[in-house]
Amino acid sequence: MIEPRDEELSRIYRDAEAPRPSRRVDDNILAASRRVAGARPRSARSGFARRWGAPVALAATVVVTSTLTLMVFERQSDLDKMASAAPSAEEPANVSPEEPQARPSAKSSPAESPRAAPTSATPIPQAAVRGDRLKERPSESTTSSERRGAEQPRFAGDGPRAPEALRKREEATPAPSAAAPFSSERVGADPPAPSPDAQRAPEVPRQAPRAPTAALAGDANTVRESALTLQRAGVISAPASRVAISEAKERPPEKWFEDIRKLKTQGKTAEAERELSEFKKRHPDYRLPEDLR
Amino acid sequence: MRGEASDEELMLRYGKGNVRAFEVLYRRHRPPLYRFLLRQAGDAATAEELFQDTWMRVVNSRGRYEARAKFTAWIYAIAHNRLMDFFRASGRASFLSHEESESALEDLPTREIAAELRLDRKRAAERLLAVLAALPDAQREAFLLQQEGDLSIEEIAGATGVSRETAKSRLRYAVAKLRAGLEKES
Repeated sequence: MIEPRDEELSRIYRDAEAPRPSRRVDDNILAASRRVAGARPRSARSGFARRWGAPVALAATVVVTSTLTLMVFERQSDLDKMASAAPSAEEPANVSPEEPQARPSAKSSPAESPRAAPTSATPIPQAAVRGDRLKERPSESTTSSERRGAEQPRFAGDGPRAPEALRKREEATPAPSAAAPFSSERVGADPPAPSPDAQRAPEVPRQAPRAPTAALAGDANTVRESALTLQRAGVISAPASRVAISEAKERPPEKWFEDIRKLKTQGKTAEAERELSEFKKRHPDYRLPEDLR
Repeated sequence: MRGEASDEELMLRYGKGNVRAFEVLYRRHRPPLYRFLLRQAGDAATAEELFQDTWMRVVNSRGRYEARAKFTAWIYAIAHNRLMDFFRASGRASFLSHEESESALEDLPTREIAAELRLDRKRAAERLLAVLAALPDAQREAFLLQQEGDLSIEEIAGATGVSRETAKSRLRYAVAKLRAGLEKES
């Protein structure tokens, strides 16, 4: 019986020469084994970095840049909004809380609107107006205290993001001791001097919409004039005219004087007197023109 | 030394990217595998080509290797397949034509190796290689797989794709003929 493994033959076979592959074959195989196993992960990694490195860096740069741009733009637009909101807050102060009720009738009288346009609907750039006001502030008249009364709650309530510095600067504006000549362009401009109306003023921004301020002021003037006219003509009732008259109280002094003069020339002396006394009540420090003293 | 990591462990490590594991494995199996291919192919150039091809297949299969079988059985199976391709391509059809029946094997007497060859080991080895080269390819392969690959009958059968009995028969024929050749020469 033949053994499964012939040890004697195995020993003789092991004594035979032991040829080996050439060094070249060894090098080829080992190089291939390194290339396939070792080099592949490294090349894969470097390939990934090479392929995606630049796009990822570019995308990151774009994201960061656009984010910064958006932030700057948003901040800038907020500042602009606040800057434009500051003057726009002035106008509603001239309008009494009842104004929204009277406004539709004013709008429905097209004959009056052309008169209102030149007074306050003049297209003056908001920033320019604001700049003028800042420059003229020290010499402003006491009538602007009304506006100021309305402006403060606007910053405190309606404009939560208003620059604090701007508000403080407004508050810090010194109150003029003497009444300065009133400028019709600056209807209801600045200063402090709290008046009864100024106490009521905080309600104004809440009721008056933030609508275009020039148009709003124009409407107010129109309302006042039309109300007075209608009342004189006996077209509207007393309560309605009261609404209009209460707005008329907000008139600029010169306009008021003009109305009084008109009443006088029409022979309505009693009404003229009443208007004049009302004006004195409203503006006790204001110097009356010679013809009305 | 083979007392360290097993072939299978080294191959798995290489599959995970450990090139050093492959180098150990390669140096461990380089001489016997080359001898197997050289004695089957018959010339060094072909043997080197088959040898390199076999190892490249090992390298490329590193991720798919599973230690379900002995590493040597796996790599010699690859070498066997490469040899078969070579035999077919070169028109060497003798591989399957020398199957001998078990009954013929029964008739083979157990030969004693000549006494002088036992003393002259170098000459005996040369003689053995000469007789080995004259064996049918399948029988020589069975003997070489046993000697170089250290494979069992079952592993030889698995590597060459034949039944256990066929593998055993080939091996018996190979051993008997080698012994007969060593006796005859003496």
